[in-house]
Amino acid sequence: MRDPDDFREEIRAHVELEADRLRQQGLSAEEARAAARRSFGNLTGAEERYYESRRWTWLDLLAQNVRFGLRMLARNPGSSAIAILTLALGIGANTAIFSLLDAVVFRNLPVHQPEQLVLFGKGEWAGSADDVPNRSWQLFSYPGYREFQRKNQVFSDVAAIDSILFTTHGRVASGENLEKVAVELVSGTFFHTLGVNAALGRTLTDADDAAPGAHPVAVANYSWWQRRLGKAPSVLGTRVTIGSTDYSIIGVTPPEFFGAIVGQSPDLWIPLAMEKEVSPGWNGLDKDLFQSLYVFARRKPGVTIQQAGANVNVLFQQMVQAYAGPQPSRKQLESISHARVEVTPAATGLSHVRQRLTAPLAILMAVVALVLLIACANVANLLLARSASRQREIAVRMSIGAGRSRLIQQLLIESGLLGLAGAVLSVPIAWGLLRLLVSMGSEPLALRVAPDMQVLGFALALTMLTVLLFGTVPAFRATRLELAPSLRAGRGVMGGSSRSRLARGLIVGQVALSLALLTGAGLLLHSLINLMNVNTGFDRRNVLLAGIDPAGAGYREDARLETMMERLEDRVARLPGIQGAGFALSVFNGGGRTGPVTVPGQPALERDVTHNIVGARYLEAMNMPIVLGRSLSSRDDEASQRVAVINETMARTYFPGISPLGRTFSTGDEPEWQDIAVVGVVRDAKYMELQEKQQAAAFYPHAQHHTMVYNFVVRYTGDRKVAIREVRRAVAEVDPNLPIDDFSTLARVVNDSVGNSRLVAQLSTAFGALAALLASIGIYGVMSYGISRRTNEFGIRMALGAQRSDVLWMVLRETLALVLTGVAAGLALALALSRLETSMLFGLTPADPVAIGLATALMMAVALFAGWLPARRATRIDPTVALRYE
Amino acid sequence: MSTQQKPDSDRKARLELLQGTLDLLILRTLIFGAEHGQGIARAIQQTSENELLVEHGALYPALQRLEARGWIAAEWGTSTNNRKARFYTLTKAGRKQLVEETTQWRRLAAAIGRILGPEGEEG
Repeated sequence: MRDPDDFREEIRAHVELEADRLRQQGLSAEEARAAARRSFGNLTGAEERYYESRRWTWLDLLAQNVRFGLRMLARNPGSSAIAILTLALGIGANTAIFSLLDAVVFRNLPVHQPEQLVLFGKGEWAGSADDVPNRSWQLFSYPGYREFQRKNQVFSDVAAIDSILFTTHGRVASGENLEKVAVELVSGTFFHTLGVNAALGRTLTDADDAAPGAHPVAVANYSWWQRRLGKAPSVLGTRVTIGSTDYSIIGVTPPEFFGAIVGQSPDLWIPLAMEKEVSPGWNGLDKDLFQSLYVFARRKPGVTIQQAGANVNVLFQQMVQAYAGPQPSRKQLESISHARVEVTPAATGLSHVRQRLTAPLAILMAVVALVLLIACANVANLLLARSASRQREIAVRMSIGAGRSRLIQQLLIESGLLGLAGAVLSVPIAWGLLRLLVSMGSEPLALRVAPDMQVLGFALALTMLTVLLFGTVPAFRATRLELAPSLRAGRGVMGGSSRSRLARGLIVGQVALSLALLTGAGLLLHSLINLMNVNTGFDRRNVLLAGIDPAGAGYREDARLETMMERLEDRVARLPGIQGAGFALSVFNGGGRTGPVTVPGQPALERDVTHNIVGARYLEAMNMPIVLGRSLSSRDDEASQRVAVINETMARTYFPGISPLGRTFSTGDEPEWQDIAVVGVVRDAKYMELQEKQQAAAFYPHAQHHTMVYNFVVRYTGDRKVAIREVRRAVAEVDPNLPIDDFSTLARVVNDSVGNSRLVAQLSTAFGALAALLASIGIYGVMSYGISRRTNEFGIRMALGAQRSDVLWMVLRETLALVLTGVAAGLALALALSRLETSMLFGLTPADPVAIGLATALMMAVALFAGWLPARRATRIDPTVALRYE
Repeated sequence: MSTQQKPDSDRKARLELLQGTLDLLILRTLIFGAEHGQGIARAIQQTSENELLVEHGALYPALQRLEARGWIAAEWGTSTNNRKARFYTLTKAGRKQLVEETTQWRRLAAAIGRILGPEGEEG
């Protein structure tokens, strides 16, 4: 491109040449120069025109437009602020939900070439400890993992993770107190398969996982190193004592690595070879059918998922047949024929939270997207109203030669500025909402949710889309006007009907979307109320739950453990204000052990029974009433007949038409689980979650089954804090080494068990309310504007004798028509969309009349109120003033 | 001296250029070879027997435009009286454009002429 000096030079040459010519014709030098100048016309003008023709003037124009746009925004601070805030809320909410969705569902693990990773199964938490599952396998045994690792031809490496995160207790660097340590047991190949290198020291190798019990080493999680050891470089070699084993820390993982299971972050990774030491109660390294491991692998380059799957299944069939032994039962044969492994991509890692959160997050994403759409409609309406009041300015500018494209550009830049300001303000909103979301669930999620490029890109793209959505139509509208009448009339003549048609269309759309959101929220709330009213079968009030970790204190599954448990139960039960106390293998919403039972002389049933091993007074502590026979008692001990209390459903299912008292049943193969006598029947209850169908359940006294149990249940009266202090003291008296923590109440556990439903219901309600508010602001704005334009008309009507109520009705009728149209569209939309929520609903259908009715009533009420405010103003018009109104 | 015509001070009504025709005239002028801006303005004025008014200032945006479209090319050179000036030449594309525009203009002029009828009928 030529620079301006070059151009100036050319013009100077031109004037001189012309002057030369004139001098030749006989003019004096001075006259000639003046004449040449004159004939050239406006010198500066030419230069300016040249300047404007240059291509990069757009930059100057942009700066000019931005300055002008800022002035225009500042001129209407109120409406600009509303627009910016509206956009910020919309964009912020979307960014927050997307960040979470990204972290839980989409983001790849921060490891080497994550797309090569595959998982055996789909990561569901389903397996058996002693049988061949009759389905696609999800969990595998340690021998199984080793066989895959040895025999496969398609993977560069295979690794295993224990599906249970062991929350145990240990002493760090021979410290005074036992502290909580979350341990993930992994195969020695874990880090190598993932391609994660140590930030400090080294990671595990296969040699650290060779002989059971022989490798007391641990890799520390970066966040634990930071939190617990203050990033001390001396961490290598630090001793962590868990139970009676000293583990030596050999390395620290890099800061971005949270583990292969998204949403779960251990403090230490310890080789699976140490399973028995970390988990004395639940282990089976040498058992072929003890399925507790997730197995994942890294494909060799060039190997497809299908090829990997084929190879894995060939190996798997051989393995399963070997497990079943030379003479498999018919049931086993059938299971073997169904046994297969689905090999799935695992670039995003494993996750328990993913299955739990994907549906709620998808719903929330849809909700916030709709909220943003409503926000856009609102801002578009605001801009429409503003451009109407700027008609004169626009008409003047067009009449003195401003191009339409330049004006559209100008208006779009103003929209862009609004969008940009909204985006900037949305950052703290998104961050705050995200923090709230992560901490609001029943347990805090261990997630990397820091905004990354993907989230940032999403927010930027969203902002641009938003600007286009709300800015384009008003900009084109504003510049499509007839100049003459606009200039003549001064204001308010431009295609009023088409402008307001658009504005009204936007209102109808807003009402429809808001109603859909409110209905969705109503359904979720109604479902939540249903859940909270479920009869749990136990009394959730005044029950303390605590976690006790005998394994951390070095107990084994033997008589010493049993003595400690009984002493503790006794000691606590005798405390003042305590009505009952007992250990329990599983408590509500804490998972549980299930398995089939057999009754002598009866065919085996397909269904599973929930087994719980509890203290003698557990049922009393839970207030679970005995309906037949007796409860468990401290006289049921090792020397006496093995007994159980079963629930009503189990009694009905396994002993139909007869009294179950005195009858026996068996479960599993081990001798201690054979010929168990039923001594009582307890009322049905919920065991794992509120949503569950009624389960068959049986309760066994721990005195007859030496098992490591971690839950301690206490029914108390009076002050909870006092009760907690007393229980702590009692534990310290029985064994000062025994860690007890994680105090909670049963009521809270029940509440938290529906934490996701509650979170989604609350957020949907908040967003639904926001949507309704935005729609109301829209209605208010459009109606107010319409009324201010019709002041004259109302004045005439009233001067001619119209009553105030007539005017009120006239205006309200308009609002009502809009709202009813919107409601009709909204109901259709709600019915279509709420189907997506079906999986989240409990005890009602998506067409729940209560939710739909309430949402509709609320929407109508809010919308009509928004329309009534300006209508009332219309009735207060003074005819004499109105007639003079321009 | 009194008989000498003052070249540019005569204010007799000249024809204003129709929009868009200036481009055509510039291209046409350049068919005789390279010329600088002042020369082009002069040439148009003289060839039209002083009927057409070319505001010299208006010439340059037009030249700029034509150059940008690739119809003319420019180069600094020296004028006959030894002044530095920017010389414009017609490019191949410009030549084609000239033919096209000339044809169009002729058709337009003929059509308008037919509508207006033979000279002298307006009276």
